[in-house]
Formats: sequence, C-alpha cells, structure tokens
Amino acid sequence: MPTPVIELEHVQKAFAMPGGETVAVLDIDAFTLHETEQVALTGQSGSGKSTLLHVISGIMRPDAGRVRIAGRDITRLGEASTDRLRADTLGLVFQQFNLLPGFTAIENVLVAMSFGSGKPDRWRAADLLASVGLGHRLHHKPAELSIGQQQRVAVARALANRPRVILADEPTASIDTAHQDQVIDLLTTTCAENDVALLVVTHSPDVAARFPKQLRLEDFNRAATHPA
Amino acid sequence: MSLFGIAWRNIRQRLLTSGLTALSLALGVALVVATLVIGNVVTEAFKSGSGLGYNMIVGAKGSPLQLVLNSVYLVSKPIENVAWSFYEEFLPADARPDGVAGRFAGSVQTAVPICMGDYFRSYRVVGTNAAYFDRLSFGGGGASGLARWWASLLGQSAGVTAPRPFQFADGRNFRDDEYFGGVLGSEVASRLGLRVGDPFSPTHGADDGLVHDPFTVTGILARTDTPVDRGVYVNMEGFYLQEGHAKPIDGAPVVAPAPPAEGVATPLPREQREVTAILVETASMPGLPAELTAMGLKTAINEGRDGQAAEPIREISVLLGLFVRPLELLLLLVTVLVVIVSAIGILVSMVGSSLERSRDVAVMRALGASRRHVLATVLIEAVILALGGGLAGWALGHLLVAAIGPLITTNAGVSATLVSSSPTELLLVPFLIVLAVLAGLMPALAAYRTDVAKWLG
Repeated sequence: MPTPVIELEHVQKAFAMPGGETVAVLDIDAFTLHETEQVALTGQSGSGKSTLLHVISGIMRPDAGRVRIAGRDITRLGEASTDRLRADTLGLVFQQFNLLPGFTAIENVLVAMSFGSGKPDRWRAADLLASVGLGHRLHHKPAELSIGQQQRVAVARALANRPRVILADEPTASIDTAHQDQVIDLLTTTCAENDVALLVVTHSPDVAARFPKQLRLEDFNRAATHPA
Repeated sequence: MSLFGIAWRNIRQRLLTSGLTALSLALGVALVVATLVIGNVVTEAFKSGSGLGYNMIVGAKGSPLQLVLNSVYLVSKPIENVAWSFYEEFLPADARPDGVAGRFAGSVQTAVPICMGDYFRSYRVVGTNAAYFDRLSFGGGGASGLARWWASLLGQSAGVTAPRPFQFADGRNFRDDEYFGGVLGSEVASRLGLRVGDPFSPTHGADDGLVHDPFTVTGILARTDTPVDRGVYVNMEGFYLQEGHAKPIDGAPVVAPAPPAEGVATPLPREQREVTAILVETASMPGLPAELTAMGLKTAINEGRDGQAAEPIREISVLLGLFVRPLELLLLLVTVLVVIVSAIGILVSMVGSSLERSRDVAVMRALGASRRHVLATVLIEAVILALGGGLAGWALGHLLVAAIGPLITTNAGVSATLVSSSPTELLLVPFLIVLAVLAGLMPALAAYRTDVAKWLG
C-alpha cells in the first residue's frame, strides 16, 4: 500500500471580497496523493487550482480542515515549522518559473538548499543541473537562458532538498506547444528517477493526457461546482 | 548559500541603485571624516604647541591669550614690547652687566628673549639668541589622536610624550656672535627652497615693508610638526641692528645703527633694546615643587607694572574650551546629521526597490525561507551598503585630507596627512551600521510581511 504524502480532509478556504462578501474557493472533503504518484489536476480558470497548491504548500492556511504533508498536519504547525517542512518536503515549480534574476542557475539551486535542513551542496546542485541538461549553463543568469532552460533550472531547484513531492503550477502555460512535451517529459522522468510524487496543475487537456492519473478539481471541490 | 551571499547577490542585482546609495553614503562619510580629522589635527597642533620646553611666557601687559598665540603659534599681533632691563631681571649674575642676579633669576632655569615684527615672504621672523634651540625643546603635547583614544580606552594616561630637543636637518644653530645668522623652520625652507648658506632679507612690519639687511641661513630645522616649522629665526643682535628696531631714547632722534664694517658689528646699546616676550622655564626652588615656583613667579610678575606672565597650557586650555571644543561639538552634530541623511538614503533606496524585491521575497518564501530569513537578508543588505559606503567614505576622507593637506599646512601651519586621524572617526562606522539597521528595518519589515500567494500569482 503506497504511503500518502499529501492528505486533505474537509479543507475549506474562502476569501473576503472588498465589498464584504465572502467567496468560497475550496471545499474539499478529501484529497490524497501517494508516494511516487504522478497526477495531473485540471480545472477551469478560477476553480481554485492555485489556491489548492498554496494550501498544500502551507503558503496559505485553510479556514478549516486538515492538511497533512508526509504525515505531518501543517495546520497545527507554527509558521517557521511549516516553512522548514515546505523546504524539506515540497518542491515547487511555478508558471513563470520565478527564478531569482540576480542569481546564476547554480545559485538558484543553492538558494533553495539554504532553506532546507541540509547544507548547501555545490556539487549536488551542479549534478542536478547536469541531470536536466544544463551542466554547461551553471553560471548563466536567467536572462541569459532560453525559456526552456529556465524551466529546467526551476525543475532542478525544486529537487534541491530531495523533496517527497513536486507541485507544479501550470508549468507549461508560458511555453509554446512544441516545448510543452519536453517540460512534461522532464518533470515526469525526473520525478520517477528520484522517487518523487508529482502533482501538476494545468488547464490543458493535452498536458493532462500525458499523466497516468488525471483529476478534475470540479469533481471534488464543492466550491468550484457550487460557488457561494 | 549563506544569508550574506543572498544579500550580496541582491545588491549586485540592483547594482546601479545600490552603487549610487553607497556612493552618496561614501561622499557624506568622506566629508565627515575629513572634517573630523582636520579638526582633530588642529586641536592636536594646539596641544603639542602648548607643550613646548618652557612653561611660562612673559610679555607686555594685555591679553595673555594673545601673548601665547603670538609667541608660541606665531599668529596674531604682538601686544607690545617690554624693556630689556625687565628681561635682565630673569638673568643670573654672570649674564648681567652689573654682576648682580636679576629679581626673578632665582626662580628661572632658562629665559630666552624673542623679538618680533618682521616678516620674510609672509613667514614670521623671530629675533632670539642661540639658547632658543640649544636649551629649549619642543613637543610634549601628547600622542596622536588615536593613540590618545586607545590610551583612554585602556585606562592609561593620555600618552603625553616628553619634550624633545631641536634637531637640524641641515647645518647648525647660529652662534650668539654670528649676528647675521639665521635658522629656518622646515616648512619655510622647503616652501621657499632655501638652503644652508643662502642669504635672506626680512622686511619690516609686513611683506611690503622696508627691506632689512640680509641674514645667512646657518641651519634648517628638522620637522617638528609645531608652529616652529613656520618660523624664521634670526640672531637678535642682527635683528636689533635693523632700521626701526632701536628704541628711541627720551626724545632723541632715532639713528639707525651703523652697518657692520669689515664683518664686525657693534651691538645695539642696552637702553635701546626691547623684547617682545621672554620664554621662561622655571627652576625648582630647593624644597618646593616646580609648579609652586612657577605660581610664585607668575604672581610676582603680574603684581608688578613691567609686564605679565602667562602659562601657555592654561591659555590654550581656555582657547580650546572657548572655541575648539564647541567647534568639535558642532562638527559632531554635522557628522550625526550627515550620517542620518545617509541612512535615509539607504532607506529611500531600499524602499524604492521593495516592489522589485517583493517578488523575490515571495519566491524565497515559497522555497522555504522563513520570515526571519527574509528580515535578516534585507537587514544584511542595508549593513553591507552602510559598511561598503562607510569604509569607502573613510578611505576617501583620508585621501581628501592628504590631497588638501599641503593647502592646510600652508594656510594654517598644521600638518595633515593621509594617516592623520581623529578618535571620533572610529565610532563612525559602527554608528553607520546601527543607523543602517534602523533604516533597513522598514523595508525589512515590508519584506517580512510580503503576501507570498499574491506575488507568486
């Protein structure tokens, strides 16, 4: 029986609007992602995909419910512990890659290592970048890299602290169709090689079709199907 | 990667803004350092001047401060002259024509007369005798500013140095029988390019006054870093023989002394002589401390009508208290203001870049950075800017002092070099760091509160 690395129970999240109105974004009874599992999560725009990732990663706290990451309930942890858990357990890949522009490729990976429990390891950072085909671009800054190369740095950075799960938020939204397959291949292959679970949020059915397991957020998020 | 490394890369990323902030800080600090150092150099110069190898100056009645400024520092106008007979009251029996010791001779170890009023190319000419360089000394005002500061920190004495005898960089002192011999201070010699054996002709009363007979340079003093460096010292016997230097006697017409014939000059009669001041080193009376002797001598002189006695150290302390210390306080205030303005510069720069920073902060937080990491990174950035700008400014300030040092030396007679220092400047950089932390606190707190979800999109 595979071990769950992400478990959500009765999670609710709502936002207060400027007029005082409250809009429910998440209302999820249960959601689970198991070790080494690779899942594509689709949903309409505004269905709460990004909010779900923020709640899972502890960047945002749910209004109610439990979020367990690698067995630890982050809703009961203090902020600093959540930050440390996020650094050690989760790897994040963003839609805009969000590389630090003043840092070289290897420095972007080393920065992520700085916040984990281990010590920053320059050799491992170089190995990670080499494993995504950027061994010759270690000391290039993001502006000196192509879009595809930036995305590879983002993947290497997500793996910096040997996470249990990689959360990717629309990782193909900013790149052309020709490169989408390469990015998804990179993510799925790299995660498989490193025994890391992968949850990719996408609005693209083509991208979702590349995954063995696909979920529609509207299917288990009541707030998406029945907005308040 | 350490937080320092992250902060440094953040600075590098905003190189132009960071560079301009550090530059403005450096310029402010340079100005402050230069002002502090020059202020301190001036104070030290006064203090070292007050530590000459004599402890009393006797001159005409009037302002004692003016007497000291004129006699020690070669600035300000002489008050008036005192009679030669009054000077003779300080001499022992064997130095007096009547063979009887003067009234004050018992309290005096050395009494050196000086006559002033002539100039040589803007430098003061001092008529004196060979005892000035043979028996007096210089210095003794204290160690350098930093050494004094360290000494005070360590609870030791202020590091007062012993007076040193005069030394000649070239040539020798004039003898008392060399009426037209002269000794030049180091600055005079180097500025005017005069060497031993060169003739020079002082002028009477001002640079454009009557040109006197030429004197010959017998020696050039080694540098003393005191006002002596700016003095032109001539044998007072030759000085007296110059036109306008003989005192008129009871309405009789003033007759210029005959010029020296065949190398032999006739000294000016005693009754036609005056001195501007007498530099006195008091003796220790048997059973009495030297201070008490000086006190008694001073009282005795001041109670009389012939002249006044002033203690250089006391007068300089008054001067420092009246003018220099308030000036130092003012400089300190300016320092504080400049540093605060510089800190505000850091604040403005960092607040200005906080929008750009928000996205990076959000990314770092998403990667697992805690709020404390973020706070510390921004504060370290502020401190790096302050330290970088502060140290660059400190070096720049000393370069500035070195650059304008010759100008200061020429105009104020104070030696200011690259290594001149002020104790206060040591406090500047730590002060800057504290201010930088305070200035960085606002952008640091903004970073601390960054809404990660909002900036990640």
